[in-house]
Amino acid sequence: MPRTPSTNGDASPSRAKELDELIEQEQLPAGRDDLAEPPVAHSQRERLLVAVAKTTAEKGYGATTIGDVCTEAGVSRATFYELFKDKEDCFHAAMELSLADAMGSIVAVYSPDKPWATMVRDAAAAFLELLASRPTFARMAMIEAPASGERAFQLYASGKRVLQSLLERGREDPVEEEAIPTTAARAALAGAESLIVGQILSGNTARLPELLPDIVYITTLPYLGQEEALRQAREAEREHPAADR
Amino acid sequence: MVARSQRERALDAAVDVVAEKGYAATTVADLTKEAGISRTTFYEMFPDKEACFLAAYDAAADVLARRVAAAFETEAVWPARARAGLEALLGSLADEPAIARLALVDFGAAGPAAQRRYRAALLRMTPLFDEGRDFAPEGRRLPPNTSRMAIGAVVGLIADEIAAGRTEQLPGLLPEILFATLSPYLGPEAATRGVSEER
Repeated sequence: MPRTPSTNGDASPSRAKELDELIEQEQLPAGRDDLAEPPVAHSQRERLLVAVAKTTAEKGYGATTIGDVCTEAGVSRATFYELFKDKEDCFHAAMELSLADAMGSIVAVYSPDKPWATMVRDAAAAFLELLASRPTFARMAMIEAPASGERAFQLYASGKRVLQSLLERGREDPVEEEAIPTTAARAALAGAESLIVGQILSGNTARLPELLPDIVYITTLPYLGQEEALRQAREAEREHPAADR
Repeated sequence: MVARSQRERALDAAVDVVAEKGYAATTVADLTKEAGISRTTFYEMFPDKEACFLAAYDAAADVLARRVAAAFETEAVWPARARAGLEALLGSLADEPAIARLALVDFGAAGPAAQRRYRAALLRMTPLFDEGRDFAPEGRRLPPNTSRMAIGAVVGLIADEIAAGRTEQLPGLLPEILFATLSPYLGPEAATRGVSEER
């Protein structure tokens, strides 16, 4: 019943490069170097990006006005219009920044030497930690963006496609050929996404990292089989014990 | 009885107009025109556009939930029950693309109240999925949020199809949907066998 565990995955050194290429294909913004730090709102532009995240998270994208964003940022309307065309433009820039951070958090744990399953565990842990440490951006990126118009939706969708491609690498592991549907990775991600969104909507963003074992289970399951996916979930729990979170 | 039928016309209008124009672009005037009711009558029944949309959403979710539950009860063993319920869900959505769009795609544009409704509607399916935990040999070892994730996977696949304009082909997605439902409980091998089994 259990399949051959993925002990060393694909050890090709080109993997990290492939990830960069994937991100580039999706035309995602490049990651930043200061990932460990929350965005420091030095410039007026950064203040506006934080403010648009905050106001849309509080009021919803539709109800947010440029006036709200300027008041929150302590920046004049004139300055706003020097930096951005309109509300959507500002929101899109904030969304790009969030996505760059999310991709950056995954690139940071991505290594050609890591087995695929370890990479999934580490990437899921990094992603949940990032969301938990930035509740405002988490709400904007996971809840407001998909519903706020075509451009932000496309950005969100391309981020998901990168994660999906990463998961599909699980297929390359030397397991017996199974008729796993081609939608398996997309389905697993939708399951994880739904759990994360539910947690954010119920106001428990800070506790997102507790969902790590569940998410590791659902994302590794199609490729590693149930026994091994349960083992990976326990391993994730051991590496990131709930008490530490 | 007249009041009831006007209400029903308003709810039908909400489904049709929102499917056509999207929620944000829909106005109360669109709804009253489509329903053939006066503005005064509309505001006697609903405080605003959102209230009408939410009432339409609740009505649609009720119909779907009842159909899925009825189909589920026609079978005895969980994998067959799940298959029957999902078949009914996909069939109902394909038959009524406007309701499918409203129920699974457009809710997101209608604000936090609609989002909470949407999640509550999804969670009504939880008992159907939780039976998988009782049925599965490994049920007691599964992560606590298995059913939530399985429901999210199923709904995500369906919503992608609707958004891509393939609502009428949804019944053809049954094997993928069934795999997403069975595999979290039974593992991919047993799920693959369950998908290929004839009823």
